[in-house]
Amino acid sequence: MKIKGTPLTALLLLALALSVSALAATEFKSMWTDDLFVPAPGFEKHMLSEWFDGLKGTPADNPVYIQKGEEPGGTVLILGGTHPTEPAGMMAAVLFLERAKVSRGRLIIIPQTNIMGYSHTSPQEAHPRSISFTTADGGKRTFRFGSRLTNTLYEWPAPDIYIHPASGQQLPGKERGNINRCYPGIPDGSPTEQMAYGITQLILKEKPDLSFDLHEASPEYPVVNAIVAHERSMELAAMTVMDLEDMGIAMRLEPSPKNLRGLTHREWGDYTETMPILMETGNPVQGRLRGRTDEKLALTGVDKAYVVASALGRLYIPYDGKQTIEYRAGRHTTSILAFLDNLDLLFDDKGVSVEGVPNLAELEEKGLGFFLSPAGR
Amino acid sequence: MTLIYRAIVLFILLLVVACQFREKDFWKQTTAALVIIPLVLRLLMIK
Repeated sequence: MKIKGTPLTALLLLALALSVSALAATEFKSMWTDDLFVPAPGFEKHMLSEWFDGLKGTPADNPVYIQKGEEPGGTVLILGGTHPTEPAGMMAAVLFLERAKVSRGRLIIIPQTNIMGYSHTSPQEAHPRSISFTTADGGKRTFRFGSRLTNTLYEWPAPDIYIHPASGQQLPGKERGNINRCYPGIPDGSPTEQMAYGITQLILKEKPDLSFDLHEASPEYPVVNAIVAHERSMELAAMTVMDLEDMGIAMRLEPSPKNLRGLTHREWGDYTETMPILMETGNPVQGRLRGRTDEKLALTGVDKAYVVASALGRLYIPYDGKQTIEYRAGRHTTSILAFLDNLDLLFDDKGVSVEGVPNLAELEEKGLGFFLSPAGR
Repeated sequence: MTLIYRAIVLFILLLVVACQFREKDFWKQTTAALVIIPLVLRLLMIK
């Protein structure tokens, strides 16, 4: 249908476009507000720029929480939120942050490692903007569900090819916004590379004996329900996998590939003295087979397409129709607690004792929200 | 570099608006309106 355009219609359409832009801007900006964390008593809040001052005043400066026990011991670092689309990793770190009482050694937690990925969602993935939990007092805690990559407001323009500075490895350009391809980082690189450098500096200066990087992966990806261990972490990881098997938690043990560069389990092991561990749970919200992608899927993992895929033997996890965040985060917390037990067994002077963090059974019984602090505390 | 980038975005935005007002077909004006939305968001560095 032909309609004549006039300056008046142009003006009206321009006003409409600006109105839609304003509405969209409000939606996008709603993700710029930092999430609320309620650290357990004993935690001190620091900023990553204390270890690399090049981050000061930039969006890459990231809260770091440290709790020191009364007894001397080792140091353990826990990173959640390396990939903001993998919420069980972040929530496991949050559970440690909000529940842990350290009696021996020191615990360092960064709950949202790539904080620059939390201010937007991934284009064309239809991901939810947030996930919420009901706390024990009936309140609500909400956390952002961001993007795997740093916000392009900070990390742009993406090169055609990302050349990993330490190795020359070539990856698609967008991977420069993936902090888990940027380690050990460089001080004068892109914002994500600088943030990776800051975390490497933290590890070099604080000397954690054991460092975790918590992830999730799609159920059709082979490295899922898995621990990826550097050569120096392998003995400890093997002991822990056997303990987890005893508890009924099946866990793959994967050696860190020497030719896959920029990842925590490789670069932390090669460039620092820590024992790096990367852990993956199965998360249908990331899978390519998923249907409706919303908060419910992120929290429950209920998806009928994955039931079919499981029946066809196409998945690398047992899938009974759901994959709740309690189960996924609980695998992480239980595994970390098992690692801490074995750290004490293998290295007597490096033990770190932590109480108060819920394991898989407790999370499945009471729900994750039960263990979060009320927001108003 | 960001300022240069934003200046380029502003330049293109103004060109699109100018084309929209010169256009005699309502539907092509509508197309221009659709193009304006991401340009405004990018100019303001919101998305």
